[in-house]
Amino acid sequence: LVENLASMSTRERIKAIQKMPETMKKKREIRNSLSEHFHQLWLWHKTLKIIGGEFGTSVLSYFIFLKWLLSFNIFSFLINFSFITVPQFIAAEPNNLSFTGLELLTGAGYFQQTVLYYGFYTNATISKTENGASYNMQLAYIFTVGIYFVICLLILLFSMAKSFCRNFINPQTYSGNASKLLCTWDFNVTNEKAVKLKQKNLSTQVKVQNPGDAKRCSNMTNGHPTIVPSRELTQQLSVQLLVLFLCRNIILKISIIGILCYYWLDIVAESKSQCWETLIGQDIYRLILVDFIFCLLGSFFGEFLRRIIGTTVCVSLGVPEFDIARNVLDLIYAQTLTWIGILFSPLLPGIQMISFFIVFYTKKVSLMKNCQPPRQVWRAAQMTTFFMFLLFFPSLIGVLSVIAVTVWRLKPSEECGPFRGLSSMFAAVSEWIKILENYTGSKWVVWIYNNLITSELFFFILSIIFLIITYLYWQIIEGRKTMVKLLRNQIVNVSSSFSFILFKIQDVHQKAETVGFAVPGRKVTWRGSRNHDEKTHHLKESSMPPYSYVSLCLYIT
Amino acid sequence: MGNKQTIFTPEQLDAYQVQNKLNGLFYRYRDLAPQLVPLDYTDKPDVTLPYELIGSMPELKDNPFRQRIAEVFSEDGDGNMTLDDFLDMFSVLSEMAPRDLKAYYAFKIYDFNNDDYICKSDLEKTVNKLTRNELTPEEVRLVCEKVIYEADLDNDGKLSLEDFQHMIIRAPDFLSTFHIRI
Repeated sequence: LVENLASMSTRERIKAIQKMPETMKKKREIRNSLSEHFHQLWLWHKTLKIIGGEFGTSVLSYFIFLKWLLSFNIFSFLINFSFITVPQFIAAEPNNLSFTGLELLTGAGYFQQTVLYYGFYTNATISKTENGASYNMQLAYIFTVGIYFVICLLILLFSMAKSFCRNFINPQTYSGNASKLLCTWDFNVTNEKAVKLKQKNLSTQVKVQNPGDAKRCSNMTNGHPTIVPSRELTQQLSVQLLVLFLCRNIILKISIIGILCYYWLDIVAESKSQCWETLIGQDIYRLILVDFIFCLLGSFFGEFLRRIIGTTVCVSLGVPEFDIARNVLDLIYAQTLTWIGILFSPLLPGIQMISFFIVFYTKKVSLMKNCQPPRQVWRAAQMTTFFMFLLFFPSLIGVLSVIAVTVWRLKPSEECGPFRGLSSMFAAVSEWIKILENYTGSKWVVWIYNNLITSELFFFILSIIFLIITYLYWQIIEGRKTMVKLLRNQIVNVSSSFSFILFKIQDVHQKAETVGFAVPGRKVTWRGSRNHDEKTHHLKESSMPPYSYVSLCLYIT
Repeated sequence: MGNKQTIFTPEQLDAYQVQNKLNGLFYRYRDLAPQLVPLDYTDKPDVTLPYELIGSMPELKDNPFRQRIAEVFSEDGDGNMTLDDFLDMFSVLSEMAPRDLKAYYAFKIYDFNNDDYICKSDLEKTVNKLTRNELTPEEVRLVCEKVIYEADLDNDGKLSLEDFQHMIIRAPDFLSTFHIRI
């Protein structure tokens, strides 16, 4: 290392040394955390490695997203099971209904009197022994669900912000098809066939992007020249098609869930039927089950049959590619349904957990057997950020609004569930606060409740503060953008003027040698013009040098 | 893992800031040549595995840049790696490495002649590796000219580290593609 440093020039040595301690320290830190993570990610670690090795980062992003959603469900199932279901087992009423296999499909019948649904839970305060520790089921139910959603919100918010920070790029500056070559080789791909395929794709891209070759003209069929759209055009088209597909799909799913929620909250809840929360829970159970079945069927038809057709009957179609967008949107839809259903059916995340497990293995087997690696460029980082944003904005925020309306506005059913007889689910909390007022030790809880949680003024002030902070950050960003542009212009100016001065000095010196005196005003052929964005300083080729440069050169000479 | 012998002394653990879980990577290193690599690293043995063994790892064997990767991370510049180099390599190529560290090493990998600039010949070699020599020399030349035209900010005909980092900023996928899972 020392020999290397000694052989560099001073300037380079200083640079290298400046870089070194950071890189060494960073490397050590990363090694440390890497070793920890090595064992944490072991679930499906090998499978993900194989998938990434054969199909690349883009398809891998779907499976990583699936794994991430699965973790939400596992967490929800664990806390619901421990805090709500287990105490319920202690105070359970006997189940008189009979079990036939049909209940697995409809969710009704036998399951109605089990811990699967809201209606079964007691509203009593459970205690094992007289004067022993008691467990208030009402508070447990509402706090468990509430705290779970708050944690979900925070996790999603931080993940989204981190992803946005790492991956966001101003769409205007995404230029440079050629520079993509250096930055997009996928090191994840370790399968020999996949590597060869990628290399072939890259060479095809390069060939078609270079106009003026004889290859264009060689696309003649029957002597008539056919117009072959350039690769850039087809890529633009495919991006537009993708956007169209996403918009259509998202709007469809939002409308479906919106109408369902309206139906549930406005019609079923007011219908004075016996146990409306359980009815909603059953509806959601059936929806999730059908969605799961159709997901498997979609995999069967979309990939398996399509491959059979593509290889035997209609060979021009070819082997299908894995449709990442459609599958991710299906996942988001299923997760939204689960989140809505948590309040009405606490064990639903467990069912969704099992379904996600099965979907993972089905998709993986189907992928390996039926699909080929993707040919088009799929900007995995930006798409993952977009999907996380979708999960946050229409999905989680929508679910939170539905839950909020249910908890605050709707009257729970009279005869079943932990909130029977109350005017709203939230009334359980307000009644508890009233009880707490009698204990001097908990006056601070009462104070927080009265002045922070139920007070509108507090939320109003909080919103104003957040708006002010957002506005300030927005202005800082705008200022930094302008700064970046100015600095970029400066780099271009400085480099071009410096090189120009050197060239001019050389030129004038040569002239001085041959002719004997300096000749001003000679035409300069400037190598290359630079166009980083429209507003940047633009140097034309062979332009007359500005007067100041000429005088400077004369002075130097 | 109760009664296995210690592989690193406490001082080495301190110096490397590692914990026992690092053994996963160590065993991968050892599996390449069990007869060369001792189980006990407490006396700092000077063990170097030749490039052929490193290049035969399943994660690297089909990568067109495996030779450059090994050369960049090895101490002697020939691809023969000690345990330290091996750990460095996989930590930079992990998903936790920050962007500028990855950009720095990616730059070194594409810099075939090690002159701290990616010049035209480096680019030509890179393009040939990326396309498996399927392009004609004319096409390769065109592509290299295009890359330099687009990315060379200070206009010296070759890409410096700053030019390369500026290019990386415009490719958000870089962090996830410059990544090898072990």
